Formats: sequence, structure tokens, C-alpha cells
Amino acid sequence: MRVRLATLRYFLVEGWKSAKRNVSLVSLGTMAVSIFVLGVFGLTLMNLNNVNNQLRSGIEIRVYVEDGIEDQNLKALRQQIENTDGVDKVIHISKDEGLDRLAKQLGEKAGLIDILGENPLPDAFDVKVLNADLTSDIASKISDLPYVAGVNFGQEFTEKLLKTTRFVTIGAVGLAVILFGAVTFVVGNTIRLSLAYRAKEIEIMKLVGATDWFITWPFLIEGMIVGFMGSFVSGVCLYIGYRICIGRLGPVVPFIPIISEAGPVIKLCTGLVILGVLMGVFAGGLCTKKYLEI
Amino acid sequence: MLICFYEVSKVYPNGATGLHSVSTSIRNGEFVFLVGPSGAGKTTFLKLLTREITPTRGQVLLNGRNITRLRPNEIPYLRRSVRMIFQDYKLLPNKTVYDNVAFALMVIERPDKQIGPLVNKALDLVGLGNKVHAYPGELSGGEQQRVSIARAIVGAPLVLLADEPTGNLDMETSWDIMELLLRINKGGTTVIMSTHNIAIVDGLKQRVIELDSGRVVRDDEEGVYEGEAGYTSVLSG
Ligand SMILES: Nc1ncnc2c1ncn2[C@@H]1O[C@H](COP(=O)(O)OP(=O)(O)O)[C@@H](O)[C@H]1O
Ligand SMILES: [Mg+2]
Repeated sequence: MRVRLATLRYFLVEGWKSAKRNVSLVSLGTMAVSIFVLGVFGLTLMNLNNVNNQLRSGIEIRVYVEDGIEDQNLKALRQQIENTDGVDKVIHISKDEGLDRLAKQLGEKAGLIDILGENPLPDAFDVKVLNADLTSDIASKISDLPYVAGVNFGQEFTEKLLKTTRFVTIGAVGLAVILFGAVTFVVGNTIRLSLAYRAKEIEIMKLVGATDWFITWPFLIEGMIVGFMGSFVSGVCLYIGYRICIGRLGPVVPFIPIISEAGPVIKLCTGLVILGVLMGVFAGGLCTKKYLEI
Repeated sequence: MLICFYEVSKVYPNGATGLHSVSTSIRNGEFVFLVGPSGAGKTTFLKLLTREITPTRGQVLLNGRNITRLRPNEIPYLRRSVRMIFQDYKLLPNKTVYDNVAFALMVIERPDKQIGPLVNKALDLVGLGNKVHAYPGELSGGEQQRVSIARAIVGAPLVLLADEPTGNLDMETSWDIMELLLRINKGGTTVIMSTHNIAIVDGLKQRVIELDSGRVVRDDEEGVYEGEAGYTSVLSG
């Protein structure tokens, strides 16, 4: 659609005037709180994902080889593991190295090893994977290879974390739907007020042959402005609130990798503002369409 | 023919009859009075032409086009060529005379450059060239009706519909408005005007279509307000 400059100015001015006249603190507040809550969920999700990624990037598959394997078979097995799709690196841990590591882990109690006499540990491989999501697939493939006695990776913990993340994601999506309804309703109230206020003007516009699109535009702009005002407030509050939180929380739980860089958080807050603006436009369009239909 | 009604009936949702099987036609450039008692269907007749309502039955043609079949997004374009004025003027109180008229062009996205000259020309035509900055509240009823006429004709419509335009005006002012409407008609615009004003209808000797209970009961070239005694009462009684 081609829009003249004068027309555009009219849309903007009318949208702004309407918004200023009819927006209430209650609707802005409701909207800001809704978007803020959504943002809290978003941040939680981001951090869960972060923890997930960090933990899983450390996960390796430990492959235990059958005892008494001949050297050439060991080499062949290593080759096969390296050729498995998704495998990044394979490190051989010989029986002796394995024992050294065990001794280190046991620390003071390393003396226990002497009781064993002969080295009971099998040869093993540490396998790094390219994509943490495929860890369990790759592990099961490797376990099917000949001479493999067993594989081990942090499946239980990863699965728990994945479940939690999924749970929060579903919650966030459900919440987003509910809040979308709430925000549409709240912004819609402002728009309906403006429509009523400008009823006579709209009547005359229809009378002289303005298109529905032309009549609708100022209300889209108004929705956009109201959406921006509400979500901008919550975006800023969320950002500042998060900064304060990580300042306080970080030292208390140093073992949890909380996202502390500004970048991703700013991205989320900006996303929320854009979401608010879109919701506002949606509400403006919907209410005006309904109004013009009757 | 500019306008044709083919057996047009309008029954409102509440069951009231607006028009009943009305067939008539109006040539380009005609001046037509619509008369009849309150509730006869005059406003219904006019609203069908702006597609504010659709008929229950029959066709309304404008320039051969069946406007009852227009898609919703075509209706605005119909209303740019079929303009209506009202008894209550329908001006925007917070806009000046100039802005009220310019608004009608702005909202149909006429280029800015055209708007100024067209508005001034229309206001000069209706005799309000010296009141462009006044607000409607500062004007007399007659002057307000002139503004609404200026707004209606500023886009050079094909048809000007006037629904009891002098209903709120005294006799002298009504004659001024009539003089203006006739002048606009002389300029080539078809005018259809509903009225209860006997003196005006009788004095101007234009075509008169009389409605009663939604039916056309009389259609006279150079007619008067009341038909032959008994004619209407026979039909309606
Ligand atoms: N919007 C409406 N809803 C229901 N009935 C209506 C409506 N408009 C008009 N009518 C009815 O239709 C008939 C014709 O009305 P109208 O066209 O307004 O007559 P007039 O303009 O000649 O006074 C009347 O009986 C009136 O009550
Ligand atoms: Mg009427």
C-alpha cells in the first residue's frame, strides 16, 4: 500500500493523541506486569538452557573395553569409534592411566589400590561428541561395537535437566498464551475507548468514503504506542532486576553457571518489547475491525 | 439512466417495512424531491444509494452497476461519488470550517496540493469564503449546513443526496440552501432531496416522487407537495 507523507503524519498524530488521551495507568500497569512475568520465565528458561549446555558440553562418553583385548583389535575398535557419526575426538585411557586417575580421585585412600594387587581396570576410551543432544544415540551405537564392555555417560542428570527445561518451556508457552489474551484485552480497552471517543469522526470518514484500512491505521499506531509503553517499562525493569539478582545471587551459588553477560539478557528484553508492540498492534486491529463491522 | 431501482424492497430486521417493491429511475443531472409522511421510506431510499443498507429484494443500479452487489471494500469508492447531507449537518465540532471540508479529501488520500484549492473553491461556492477559520459552534444553522454541503461536493460527486436538509432551518435560510442546491444541480450534479417543506416543493416545480408506507404513490415531473386530493388517501387508505 502506498502511503502519502501527509497521511502518515495523520496516522501518527492521531494515534499518539488517542493513546495519550485514553491510555490508563491500570492498563499500562497490567500490561507491564504481564510482560514482566513472561520475561521472568524467559530468563529462567535461558539460564536453564545455559546450565544444560555447559554441563552437557563437559559430558563425555566413557567406553570400557573388554578385558584381555589384543592390541590390533583395540586399534580397530578405536578406528570404529572415530568413524561413528557425530564423534569429535577419541582419547585412549590405558589400564595404567586409568589406575593413576583412580589413585588421584581416591587421594589419601590411594593405598587401597595396593590391596588389589593386579590392575583390575580395563582399557577405556573417552569419547567427545560434536552435539551434546546426540550423546545417548552415539553411546548406544558404540555399545553395539565388538569388544565394548560398557558405556557410561551422565544420562540421568541430563535427562532430568532436559525434563525440567521442557516443563518450564511448556509453562512459558502456556503463560504466554494467557498473557497474550490479557494484554490484548487491556490494550483493547484503550482502543475501544478511543473508538468511542472518535465515533463521530469515524462515522464521517465512512460517510465520505475513507477505506476501512485508512480508518484502522491510527488505531494500529495507538496499539503500537500503548504496547511499546507497557512493554518498555517491563523490559527495563526486568533488565535492572536481573542485574541486581545476579549481583546478589552469583556469590551465593557460585556452582550454578548464571548468565551474567548483558548481551543475551538485552536480547530477551528487546524481544519482549517487540512482542508488546506486536500485541498492541494486534489488539488495535482486532478491536477496530470489530467496531467497523457493526 | 444514472439511477435505477428495480422492485426494491427493504424489510428491517425488526419487521418494519422501509420500502415495498419500488421501481423508478433518475437521469443524470436531475433534481428530485422525495416527499411523504414520516416513516414513508424516504431515508431508506437514500440510504440504499450510499449502501448504508442493502435491499431485502430487488436491485439498485448506479450507472448500470448493481450496487447491492458491491464487495465491502468497494463501498468507500461508491461513497466518493454518492454524497449525503443531513438535517443535523454532522460536522466535527473541534475542526474549523476549512478543516471539516479538507478532512473529506484528506481521508480519501487526495494529494495535499489539490486539497487547498478544492476546499477554497467549495467554500467560495457555498458563500463561506470569509469564515474558513470559524468553528461549527460559532456558525448559524444555515451556515453549518453550507459547510456540510461544501464537504459533500468538494470531491465533485455524481450524486448529492439530501435528507431533509432544511429540517432545522427557518424559511428564509431554507430558501438560501435551496438556491445553493439548485446551483449545484445546474453544475451537473444529480440531486435527490427528501423534505417536508411544502412551500419549497411547490415553489420550485421539480420532479416529485411521493412515498407512502414504502411504496411510490406518485411520480410527477414539475410536481407539487400534495398530489391530487384523494389520490394518496385512496391508495394508503
Ligand atoms: N434502522 C431501522 N430499523 C428498523 N426500522 C427502521 C429503521 N429505519 C427505518 N425503519 C422503519 O422503516 C420505515 C421507513 O423509515 P424511513 O425510511 O426512515 O422513513 P422516512 O425517512 O420517510 O421518515 C419506518 O417504518 C421506520 O420505522
Ligand atoms: Mg427520514
